[in-house]
Amino acid sequence: MKFFRAAVTEVIGLFVGDWAQTAVSVGILGIGWFVLSRVHVNGIAFVIGIALAAQIVYATTFEARQRARHS
Amino acid sequence: MYAQLLTFGAAFLGSAVESVEALTIVLAVGLTRGWRSPLYGAAVALALLAVLVLVFGQLIVTRVPELTLKLIIGTLIVLFGLRWLHKAILRSAGVIAMHDENKSYEDTVKELHGNLLRQDWVAFTISLKGVFLEGMEVVFIVVAVGGTSGSGGLPVAVAGGLLAMVVIAILGVVVRRPLAQVPENTLKYAVGVILASIGTFWAAEGMGATWPLDLVSVLGLAAIYFGASRVAVVMIRRRSAVMA
Repeated sequence: MKFFRAAVTEVIGLFVGDWAQTAVSVGILGIGWFVLSRVHVNGIAFVIGIALAAQIVYATTFEARQRARHS
Repeated sequence: MYAQLLTFGAAFLGSAVESVEALTIVLAVGLTRGWRSPLYGAAVALALLAVLVLVFGQLIVTRVPELTLKLIIGTLIVLFGLRWLHKAILRSAGVIAMHDENKSYEDTVKELHGNLLRQDWVAFTISLKGVFLEGMEVVFIVVAVGGTSGSGGLPVAVAGGLLAMVVIAILGVVVRRPLAQVPENTLKYAVGVILASIGTFWAAEGMGATWPLDLVSVLGLAAIYFGASRVAVVMIRRRSAVMA
């Protein structure tokens, strides 16, 4: 049972480190899907990549600030 | 050809990183308590992982429509890649410690010394658990990258994953100590960028988007993710320097 629980935790942990950050990433993809279904321009999907990249810059700098405050 | 190279490379690098971590556990158990039980444990774990790859790989390739597959697996690969990239950025900026194989090795040895009475069973279980749990990430990378990269993608991804495991196992047998010299963070950083890029590419294709120059766009996405990660590292380091 312990092993099974560890395996489940490991699987969830593959995709989710911080639930808020995961929600933001999924939200960006959702908005991207909405926009892509209406705007048919070749290469517009790069905007999704840029938004996700901006999200990771924000999330990592935010976490670094939090850790610095608590140490 | 380009797609297959990308699939092979992602599976190879991802598998190499996790194999180093699994090898550290098996080495710690084997050198402390003898080789028989940990090798059995590792073999059982590898067999379980192979079953997972076969079952999920076949299910995904044969049952799920291509666009749905790209959307779902692409999204999961994005989340997985961003998670690796997130950790790699924090490690590069010095916010969290680099993964230390020597420390992992010593921790496992300590754990074993505390359980001397149940010798073989403990050695078997620790080895099985370590290899299986580390291998889950390899299974995901192989199935996701192989399953979504078209016909023939899964065998290429499996080959990449297996080759990495064999190379790391041979290194482990030769060196007989934790592979602390492997630049694990750099590898995780690279795989994080590659997976986030491939995931974004496939997820958007699953949403119905078209990419200029098709798969070559993955390079553009990789440049965006890599550039952003360097910006994050510089911002964090600057802030730390100001506060020091």
